[in-house]
Amino acid sequence: MAIDTGILINVGFYVSFSIVFAILALGFNLQWGYTGIFNAGIAGFFLIGAYTAAIAITPPTPPSPGYPGHLGGYQLPIAAGAILAMLVSGLTAIAIALPTLRLRADYLAIATLAFAEVVRTVAINLEPVTAGTIGIIGIPRLFTFSGTNSALFTTGTVVGVGAVIILVLFVVLHFIVESPWGRVLRAVREDEEATMAVGKNTFWFKLQVFAIGGALMGLAGWFFVMALPYLEPAGDFAPAVTFSIWVMVIVGGAGNLKGSIAGAFLVYGLEWSSVQLKDLAPDALSPSIPYIRLMIVGALLIVLIIYRPEGILREKKRVLR
Amino acid sequence: MNATAGAPPILSVQRVRKSFGGIRAVDDCSLSINAQSITGLIGPNGAGKSTLFNIIAGLYRPDAGAIWLAGRRIDGLPPYEIVHRGLTKTWQIPHELRNLTVLENLLLGAKRNSGEHLLNVLLLSGAVRSDEKQWRARAREVLRLTELDGLANEHAKALSGGQKKLLELARALMTDPAIVLLDEPVAGVNPRLAGNLMDLIERLRQGGRTFFLIEHDMNVVMNRCDRVIVMHQGHAIAEGTPASVKANPLVIESYLGG
Repeated sequence: MAIDTGILINVGFYVSFSIVFAILALGFNLQWGYTGIFNAGIAGFFLIGAYTAAIAITPPTPPSPGYPGHLGGYQLPIAAGAILAMLVSGLTAIAIALPTLRLRADYLAIATLAFAEVVRTVAINLEPVTAGTIGIIGIPRLFTFSGTNSALFTTGTVVGVGAVIILVLFVVLHFIVESPWGRVLRAVREDEEATMAVGKNTFWFKLQVFAIGGALMGLAGWFFVMALPYLEPAGDFAPAVTFSIWVMVIVGGAGNLKGSIAGAFLVYGLEWSSVQLKDLAPDALSPSIPYIRLMIVGALLIVLIIYRPEGILREKKRVLR
Repeated sequence: MNATAGAPPILSVQRVRKSFGGIRAVDDCSLSINAQSITGLIGPNGAGKSTLFNIIAGLYRPDAGAIWLAGRRIDGLPPYEIVHRGLTKTWQIPHELRNLTVLENLLLGAKRNSGEHLLNVLLLSGAVRSDEKQWRARAREVLRLTELDGLANEHAKALSGGQKKLLELARALMTDPAIVLLDEPVAGVNPRLAGNLMDLIERLRQGGRTFFLIEHDMNVVMNRCDRVIVMHQGHAIAEGTPASVKANPLVIESYLGG
């Protein structure tokens, strides 16, 4: 039976990257949608996770003509890469949170945005560690296949593992946000001062959430290098990534976990389909398609904010017995 | 004179000062509150009453002075720590948690709720559930007390202004406070509800709690408070029984008018 594996692989890429964005969106939703912490440095935590994972698991890549080499060669198991990515991004989040989390929302946004840009600039320029703009190559795959359709199987395993991760994250996050702990987060979002005045150490709750969100963004970085075997810092971690995640969470519905997943698949779906269209469109139109996509996303956002500001899947009211 | 006169005060404010830019909002203010009393704090707008409440509750840090709660210094402590020591406050403009239900608003007042620790949530779900169950029962009790039981599962933002005032009090009571600072508890509340609210405060006082309240409604101040403290330009200028304060020339000049 002849299947056009090209199309399947292409769809597999769409699902894989949607999962990357969904993990980022879940992390940001926990921080902003549930707790009201406006993190503008999503791309920075994402980058740190991706590089940590890549450096931990990649075999030695000595410098050669045309390739500068990078820190690493540790060849740790892929799962260890995931744990390290979460750990390093989570600890970075704590380090960023300690001086900045007391800031008002707008100042926090400026500080975190600057953090992400500093991280990206360092990744571009710190060649001995990151291989600079050339990036890290030869990152191991989750499973290695050979023979015909090996590319399809590789993509399929990425999708499968990603689906399990999303499912586990959804179950665990749902459990914790619907607990009394999660109730305090929503209280902080509504009115931090009033939450303090009923006896909650709000800074402690914000710190926990910022760290967990940061760790999730690190996990997204690890999954990103599972979906794509090379890493380059300039484009994949630009501020536009952070802005996309905001759009995904707003469109999907802040304070709703399913909303983050749906928002990621929907908004990235627009990007992915615009790329497909670009190939099909007449030459004269083709260069405009990315801009048309941005216009559609912008228009979608405006319409949504006017007519359904709570997002497609709104936050549920918790009716208690 | 009430029965506890002579006993050490539950709350004592000593020479507290707080400036914002060039404005001395609270200037060398000293006062003390007897346990199990209902004490009124009156004074013209801008006298520093709400600022003083925020300082006592730990939301503002005083520039100078000391505050004692039941014999222990609390100035400089964070607000949540002061709540744990038995003092909480409400706001003049209600700070209801808008997108949480009334019942959820109350549950946040629960102290030592094991489910508010993430590790317990993940590892001790049985203990978390039983704790939560007890706190819900307690919250239902407080809702009945404040006549909000019919609104338990409504969003707080859906409540009327007067109901939000009740919610503020109910949430404060959930912290099981020894003393509650109430910032204009009956402002904007209809007379019947205001009467009920003050009756409730009287009953709670008889149950052992202390109330310190800012109020402009002279009917409440004169008929419901045991003692009245008058603030003017950042410090306490007079104190005494409602009748004596009403007759004090300083108070008439600065606040009540001739």
